[in-house]
Amino acid sequence: MLYSIMIVDDSLPMRAVIKRTLKAAGYGGSHLLEAANGEEALALMKNSWVDLVITDYNMPVMDGLAFVNAMKEQELFQDIPVVVVSTEGNQSRIDEFMNAGAAGYVTKPFTAEAIRDVIVTILGEADYEDTIDDGDDDFDF
Amino acid sequence: MKTQLMTEMMTSISEVMETMFFLPVEFGQTAALSRSGLDAPDIMACRLSFSGDVSGHVILAAPETLVLEMAENFMGEPQDQLTPEHLSGTLKELLNMVCGNALRSTQTKNPFALGIPEIVGLSKMPAESQFHMVDTDMAKLGMLLHTD
Repeated sequence: MLYSIMIVDDSLPMRAVIKRTLKAAGYGGSHLLEAANGEEALALMKNSWVDLVITDYNMPVMDGLAFVNAMKEQELFQDIPVVVVSTEGNQSRIDEFMNAGAAGYVTKPFTAEAIRDVIVTILGEADYEDTIDDGDDDFDF
Repeated sequence: MKTQLMTEMMTSISEVMETMFFLPVEFGQTAALSRSGLDAPDIMACRLSFSGDVSGHVILAAPETLVLEMAENFMGEPQDQLTPEHLSGTLKELLNMVCGNALRSTQTKNPFALGIPEIVGLSKMPAESQFHMVDTDMAKLGMLLHTD
């Protein structure tokens, strides 16, 4: 099954790393959308179906927590699972996100396995036939 | 507290460089900016502020050639396809991960809050500013921790 996954991070390299990780995890055939902050993501989501959101916390314009709260206030978006990938890993911050409705939390630096495990829990095992093989051995599972 | 923070920063840089950039590091000595090689024109530097029980900022500086290698390893893109935005973003992300990882390992009453990393120049920094040097196979990078 192919999914539509939104990656929200103000860092262009980090979005590239997450895309690479998703490919290695078997979600390479998914439709990947990108936004640099929560506001951009909400605008994109109005016109695109999204099965899963992966978001950073610390971003300009609209941070990850404000973004999750905004999603949960809108009927159209409130059931979309959100995984937070952030450098901030103190328990109170994690609790804030989980209380706001996040489905998972991964701290940076992360391994590809950590991302894969949380996504598999939410979406189920990826169809590996959909994986795009980019010849990158470092991120293979 | 500053010593504990610096120890956590050094442990963190080793972990982040190896996990995300596939570059093992060794810790070098402390050096003044003027004698560290970090005042060369090809040096890229980034600063990140933090606040909590202790507030301050961290500066990370590295030669562009090393940042290019890191960006290639990090993103899996060949060097000839990397733009200045990729390089500055890679350095910012390195500093973000190093600080976040270090600060959550530091025992404090209140959690730290991180700012947003920014690219800075080192030309206006005092020549005697002390950087902790970190060696990689191809070049050295330097880290400065300042607490208010």
